[in-house]
Amino acid sequence: MQQSIPESLKISPFMAAFVVVSMQIGIGVLGFQRIISKDAGYDAWMSVIGAGLAVHIIVWMMYKICEGVDGDVMAANIFVFGKTIGNSINTLFIIYFTMTCLTLLSGLIEVIRTWMFLSMHPIFFASVYLLLGIYIVNGGFRTVVGISLFGIVVPAYLLFSFLAPIRYGDFTNLLPIFDHTPVQMLKGAYNMTLTYLGYGVLLFIYPFIKKPKESKKWVHIGLTATMIFYTLLAVITFAYFPISLLQKSIWATLEMWKIVKLPFIERFEYLGLANWALIILPNVAISLWVASRVAKRVYHISQRKAVLFIAAVVLICVLMLDSRERINIFHDLQAKAGFILAFIYTPFLYILLLIKKKVNAK
Amino acid sequence: MKVTRILLTLLMCCLLLVGCNPRYERKVIDDINIATGMGIDKSGDQLKGSIMIPVFKADKSMENFLFTAKGTIMRDVAAQMQQKASQPIFSGSMDVALFEEVVAREGIVQVLDVFLRDPSVGARVHLAVVDGKAQEIFEGNYGDRGNAQYLKDLIEHNMEGGNLPLTNLHSFLFNFYQQGKDPYLPYLKQESPELVNITGIAIFKDEKVIDILHENKMFYFKLLVDKFSMGQVKVKEEHGEATVKSITSDTNMKLTKRKPYEITVQIKLKGLLTEHEGTRLEKNEVKDIEKELEKQINKTCLKLLEDFQKQKVDPIGVGHFVKTKTRNFNFEKWQTDYQDVTFKVSTNVRILEVGVVE
Repeated sequence: MQQSIPESLKISPFMAAFVVVSMQIGIGVLGFQRIISKDAGYDAWMSVIGAGLAVHIIVWMMYKICEGVDGDVMAANIFVFGKTIGNSINTLFIIYFTMTCLTLLSGLIEVIRTWMFLSMHPIFFASVYLLLGIYIVNGGFRTVVGISLFGIVVPAYLLFSFLAPIRYGDFTNLLPIFDHTPVQMLKGAYNMTLTYLGYGVLLFIYPFIKKPKESKKWVHIGLTATMIFYTLLAVITFAYFPISLLQKSIWATLEMWKIVKLPFIERFEYLGLANWALIILPNVAISLWVASRVAKRVYHISQRKAVLFIAAVVLICVLMLDSRERINIFHDLQAKAGFILAFIYTPFLYILLLIKKKVNAK
Repeated sequence: MKVTRILLTLLMCCLLLVGCNPRYERKVIDDINIATGMGIDKSGDQLKGSIMIPVFKADKSMENFLFTAKGTIMRDVAAQMQQKASQPIFSGSMDVALFEEVVAREGIVQVLDVFLRDPSVGARVHLAVVDGKAQEIFEGNYGDRGNAQYLKDLIEHNMEGGNLPLTNLHSFLFNFYQQGKDPYLPYLKQESPELVNITGIAIFKDEKVIDILHENKMFYFKLLVDKFSMGQVKVKEEHGEATVKSITSDTNMKLTKRKPYEITVQIKLKGLLTEHEGTRLEKNEVKDIEKELEKQINKTCLKLLEDFQKQKVDPIGVGHFVKTKTRNFNFEKWQTDYQDVTFKVSTNVRILEVGVVE
């Protein structure tokens, strides 16, 4: 049975939005424009909105699942599938969130190595970063949430940097609209869902939210904010790059910073990239926290030990992901897993939960 | 517990101090050569690259030093230059890149690939085509702020307030990769060892220069390609010559007919009279100047558009414009359609001010 969380460890409903949004904005933002425009061309900004709306529906389902069992998704799994199968599925979550942590960290390291320090050995960066992550997780869930708030508020000034490319942009690039078939736009939307991933964390933090009903409003506002941010960023990028140049740019967001001109720094990318380490930090901390929390619930080990073990696994795997090709393969794998978790598993669980409740009621 | 804490602190310190290891590309500004200008010339069948670095002296004056090397591809040239330099050359602060006309006529995209691939080069680098050798331009001595700063300022202030359209590495790549649009760059010439002049605009077809636009057409060219433009133009009317400075301009293309395409270019220009030959400004003379300027812009812009059409280049982006109006646009068919387009130019000039004298 679900043990209840003491009131003093819970977070206010407002903060839930920050956890979700900071988990959404990760390494994908740096280069999603190329991927979504591969199929949908410059109509892809509509795919961004479409995918954003789909996310709202999934989040609504997630809330329904958690409300149904008055607990997190692990309780729901055990309720629906029974203890053995439920816990096996829960174990998959440990793997999934370990992979998430690994994706973020390897992505960040790759960007830093390409743009700033070519000869940096990943082990140094990854170990410092993971130590910080462990430290945050050991501070408890409220610390993790605090870092999420920090990871959004502090780098928020970067939004202004995206105004600089507008002067060099040609917004007629987006015309004519609806120049692609609906199938192409759906493909674009599918690719976009990967950049939106991260709201799944809601399934795990639900029991920690005070008055979860009230948090719904905030989470949906947060999701809308992410959607608007992604849409605007996509539109600015599409205006700034002609399509064949965009297809060559792996990190379009970073490339746009090349045009920013400030009197005190010659190259803005370095500032932005250094800040990105702060944006990734809550992501790493949250995924470590979720993975270790699931481990604690399923295997009844202490969370501190679990987080150490998971961080060690991540560190070893980071060392193995040392080329563009390998990282790409791994990121694709992670993205597919995320898609299945959000768009197949969640509705599936929701429907099963409804059926099970009906049967029990009879 | 205390022991673990101390150990953890020590470990953290070790890891943080790793950042101070010189192996991690610590670049102290005094220990590197900052490349501010790059030039590519042709020498035999090889490329001759030159890289300009500023040398700061103890008495606060500065000089320019030039590294040159020959090779067939850019990276090879750069590697040879590194062999000659006592301190490593870095290109993070590049201001200008110049290409000899001969090189530009053979195509400069393989050179630009280096820029595109290297994240350390900014997008605001100014590119230009040079009449003569790029190396000669760098060897000149232009003022006490350094050659690169001079060239950069020369190009930038002419883009802000003069007749030069907005160009830099990004806009060049943008126009190059944009379907239905061709790039263009400023055309420079060294007048004397102390002066460089902007003598026109180099028009590219794909990656090759095919034509140089004379400087007296630059104003009209800028009107066509830039959204808001400042610039000066001379008008001839019955009372003598006058000059008008454009404050804002707005250029709109309208697709008035398809099969065959007919495109109307509408130019709106607001300006002020800066010079007027003749003793008094007659009552209706401002109106006359407006009319005269309208006629002049219509004629020259139409000529420009038709010339580009004849040369099969499209720096204005007519192809891109028609694409924005057409679903499933076929660029291959456009190649032939472009030849049949009829252009119309209509201009509306308003002179807002005549200065502080009547």
